[in-house]
Order: sequence, then structure tokens, then C-alpha cells
Amino acid sequence: MFDALRPERARTPRARIAATLCAAAVATLTLTGAALAQKAAFLFPGSINDQSWNAQGYLGAEKLKSLGWQISYSENVGAADMVDALRDYARQGNNVVIGHTGRFVSAAERVGPDFPKTLFLVGSGSKGAAPNVTSIDYDNTQFGYLMGVLAARMSKTGKIGSVNSLEGIPNVTAQVGAFRLGAKSVRPDIEVKVIYIKSMEDAAEAKEATLSLIAGGADFISGKLNAAQSGIIQAAKEKNVYANGRSYGHTEIAPDNVLTNIVEKWADMYTAAAEASKTTDMGGKYILYGFNTPGSTGAELSYGEGQAYNKVVPKAVVDELDGLKKKFASGELKISVTKEDARGGI
Amino acid sequence: MDLATLTELLSATLRIAAPLMFAALGGLLSERAGTFAVGIEGMMLAGAFGGALAVFATGSTAAGLAVSLLAGMALALVVALATTRFRADQMVTGLAVNILSLGLTSFLLRGLFGGRTPVIRLPTLPAWPVPLLSDIPLLGPVLFRQPLLVYAAFLLTIPVALFLAKTRTGLMLRAVGENPEAAFAVGTDPQRVRVAAILVGGAFAGLGGAVLSLQEVGTFTDGMTNGRGFIALAAIIVGRWNPFGAMAGCLLFGAVAALESRIQGWGLPVSSYVVQMVPYLVALALLAGIGRSARMPGAIGVPFVRH
Repeated sequence: MFDALRPERARTPRARIAATLCAAAVATLTLTGAALAQKAAFLFPGSINDQSWNAQGYLGAEKLKSLGWQISYSENVGAADMVDALRDYARQGNNVVIGHTGRFVSAAERVGPDFPKTLFLVGSGSKGAAPNVTSIDYDNTQFGYLMGVLAARMSKTGKIGSVNSLEGIPNVTAQVGAFRLGAKSVRPDIEVKVIYIKSMEDAAEAKEATLSLIAGGADFISGKLNAAQSGIIQAAKEKNVYANGRSYGHTEIAPDNVLTNIVEKWADMYTAAAEASKTTDMGGKYILYGFNTPGSTGAELSYGEGQAYNKVVPKAVVDELDGLKKKFASGELKISVTKEDARGGI
Repeated sequence: MDLATLTELLSATLRIAAPLMFAALGGLLSERAGTFAVGIEGMMLAGAFGGALAVFATGSTAAGLAVSLLAGMALALVVALATTRFRADQMVTGLAVNILSLGLTSFLLRGLFGGRTPVIRLPTLPAWPVPLLSDIPLLGPVLFRQPLLVYAAFLLTIPVALFLAKTRTGLMLRAVGENPEAAFAVGTDPQRVRVAAILVGGAFAGLGGAVLSLQEVGTFTDGMTNGRGFIALAAIIVGRWNPFGAMAGCLLFGAVAALESRIQGWGLPVSSYVVQMVPYLVALALLAGIGRSARMPGAIGVPFVRH
């Protein structure tokens, strides 16, 4: 309904698909006999200009294009259009069709069996739902664990906290649970308090939850929220405690308080998965990219351009984290998380 | 519960209640004059947006507050015109304004910055301790060590209550909400009174939004009011359309919301989803209990037709 208000995005997915269909037909005619380029289509739930989730996904489209892939994409694909959009792009002969949100899983499950030669990739999904449907995500356990170790090492009070939403969603459980395990691994007596709030987007609610943790003595606050993450950062700034963000923007809000950000690398993950699909069957998987996977580490810890951590993090701690990354890479360290690890409260 | 914990809990209660207070007082004026204030959620959001944008552009908090007030009023004007001049259904108009505000603010946010999401980062309004009073144990930190808009929200209750109860204009406003024909018979124009009440109400709701964007988080995000306008509506009903009653309602919801995160901290074996429902369960319980016996303004929801 709001899409109509946005002139630059007035083209509906379907109109865009129709246009791409024509283009594809022409391309097919002209290229008959010649070797066809690999084709990939991206479907985004929002606008690629959002400087956040969708913008990160679109970087994947650009990267594949630079590698010689033929790319088409649709923005603002709502839940009701997901099945049709996936079907249309598969029908056009795309080798890979990418849905850039976990909500595409069930739509891809429905469409997948009709197009066995097409690979459907779902970003941030949580299962390989059909022989040719694959979910990819970054390995939340690895990054949650590193954050837990960092928090435990930097805490002076012996109390740390985490503000999250959507308790029980697999990637939330993974990150929150690993945060707790990571902290306990280096300081068994540390108090880890977890709060779940109602909304991933309500920054004021996140701020109040963070303030309550700080009032209880916590001096490092982590979290996995969207727009609401800035509420965590704002509270950390006002009370002068440490926090981690999810983008360089968070560093800018509180450069003294943000120790690092978990920056997700969707462009790398999509590229790695699509390129691998040229030679191997990538269907039916749930791929977690981390330090132990080829092609992409899935995410990275980054304070700013070319700087992994805030300068207040001592060298010994940085070395310890680097050592853990190496252990993740070699497979020596594997974290498995239970729902109990990610529980609310202490 | 020790003193420090209690102080902190009460302090959070006031902070969380402040945006609700502005919206509830605004909605109360509109409803006492006979127009349902369903649109305050949208007016709050517009205020949050306008305020953030103005501070971003000018760097002045005063400008931010002024613009948030005007932004709330602008949407209130839509409600006022539709419900008085065109006698549109008040519920539908209010809901439409809420949806309009949600779409318009996110559209403008992107549109004004050429399609790129702007980086709005504002310094949040700091706590502003009242000298001497802020040193009183317990009461000091709770009541007198708050950011500016928390004081403003609660102090505003007094003039609103005095206005409604003690002034001639306030009496007129209430008369229009109870029986516009009678008010008309003694020379009052009910339409004008209703328009004025809706506009002032919108201005208050806009300020409520500014509490969120300027005081709490220092930025604007899509849909950041997240249903607070509706909680304010419930507070009006719980408070029986009385300003101090509405204040009590807002404080109650603030306290429940503040407790929400602290209850989780106790580590009870209860799902976070159950704990998160508590404020809404409290609202429902109160509405079913207190709300049922409350008498709403007599002519609310009924368009005035001049015979």
C-alpha cells in the first residue's frame, strides 16, 4: 500500500518481472547457440536503498554481476507475492533464485518441486526445505560466542547483558545462547542476563530494557535487534558502559562505548553459494557461513573501516579472540547451543 | 527490593509514561469535545518524525519541539476537517490517519534524502536535575532528576485539568462533547470547538512523539511509536476522561512496562512472550473492570448537524 507512495519504486514486482521476461526472451533469441551466462534473480522484501538489510543483500547482486552473472531483481516483494515472484523468475530460466529474508522459506518450499533445475537460496532461513531449496545464514554461534568472550573480558562488574527479540527463532537462540556460553567459558562466575523485548524495531523499548540491565550492574550489553539496536547503543552511551552494534553507524553513535560490530556479509555469502552451485549440488542444505567455511566467513567483527575493535580493547583480549577465530576455522572449536542457553533472565 | 532498585523502577516508570501522558491529555481534549481520538497514534508518529527532522536540520531542540507540535496538528487538521466539515466516521478517519502517518513518514524520510536512508543522529535530551529537590532520598531521583519532557508531560496535567474544570471555555468544550445542540442553542459553534480541541490534542500527541525521538533514542525509525497511542487511548478510558485519572492510567502502564524487563531479569520459568503480554492484559482487565462503568462523553462519535 505504501509502495505506491514511492515514485522511484512504483514499478510493482510483477511489472518488473514482465519487463525482465521480455528482456530475457530477446536475450535468449540473440544468444541461441552461444554459451549462456549463469543467471541469478534476487527478491528483496524491502527497498534496496534502505542502507540496511536490503541494501546489504543488493550488494550480493552487484558482486555476482561483476563475476559475469546475469542479474535481475525485484524490490518490495510482499508475503502475498513471494510464491508468484519465485515462480516467475524460475520460469525465466534463472539458475539461482534468491529470496533475501527467512520468510521466503515456505514460498520456496511450494515452488521448488516445480522447478527441479533451479536452486532457491533463502537468506537468513533456517532449514533446507526441499531438494533444491537451501537456506543460508552466518554462523550466529561463532559470533555470539566471540562477543560473550569479549564482554566477559571487558566487564569490570562481572555482570553483562543482552537485549533481544523473537525468543526461540533459531538464529536468535544461536547468537544469544553462544553469547552466554562464550562469557561463561572464560569467567564461569559471570552473571549473564538476557531480556527479550516485543519488537526488533522499537528503539525506545530496547533502550529502557538496556537501562534496566545497566541499573542491575551490567556493564557490557549485547543484542541482536534491527532498528532497535540503536536503543541499546544510546543507553550504553548515556550510562557509559560497553556495547556491540551491528553496523558502522552504531560506532558513530557512541564511538567510546561500542567495542565492535557484528557486520554481516551477505554479498560474500550469496556469491559463495551461487558460485559453488556451478560445480556442486547445493540444494537441500542449511549452510552456515563462518570462519570454517570456504568463500565467506559470513560476518566479521568490525569497529570501523580497517579496524576490528575499539582501541580500548587490550591486545591480550584481541589475541584471545583471534585465537578463537583460528580454532573456529580449524574446526577445533564447535559451539552447540540449546534453548536453555538462550533463556531470558540470568 | 532495595531502595536503589525501587528508585530505578519508579524512575523508568515516569520516563515510559511521559510520551503516553502527552498523547492521553491530547486525546482527552479531543474526546471531551466529542471526537474519538483514534488518530493519536499517527499524530505521535508524525511528531516524532517532524521533531527529529527539525533538530537534524537546525540543531535546535526548540525548533524540534515546535515542528513536532505542528506535525501532530497537521494530521489533526485532517481528522478535524473529515469529522466535522464532512461528518466522516470518527473511527475510520482515525485509523486512516494512523496508516497515512506510517506511510507518509517513511516515504518522506527516504524521499527527502534522495532515496537513501539518512543518518539522523541527535543528542538526546539529558536529565535535568532540579537543584535541592533532586537530593531528597527516593523522591529526588524519581521526580526531580528527569529529562525536560518528563516534567513537561506531568505538569501539563494541571493546566488541562484546570481548563476543563474551572474555565468558561472548558465548560463550553465539555458541553459540546455532552450535548452539542444545547451548546449551539446558547450561542456556541460546536464545530469550531471540536476543531480546536482536535488540533490542540494533535499538538500534544505530536509532543508525545518528540519524547521518543528527541529524548529517548535520538533518531527516527519507521513506526517507532509502536502502538503507544493506543495504550494512551486505554489510559484515557481507564482514567474516565479525567486528566488526573488519565495520568494514573499512564503511570500504571508505565510501571507495568518497566516491570516487564525486570521480571525477565528475575529468571522466572515463564516464556518472554507471556511476560510481554502483561501490559496488554492489564489494559484489557482494567478496561473490562473500570472501563465498563465509565461513562463516555454523551455526544462522542456523533457528528453535529445544524438543523
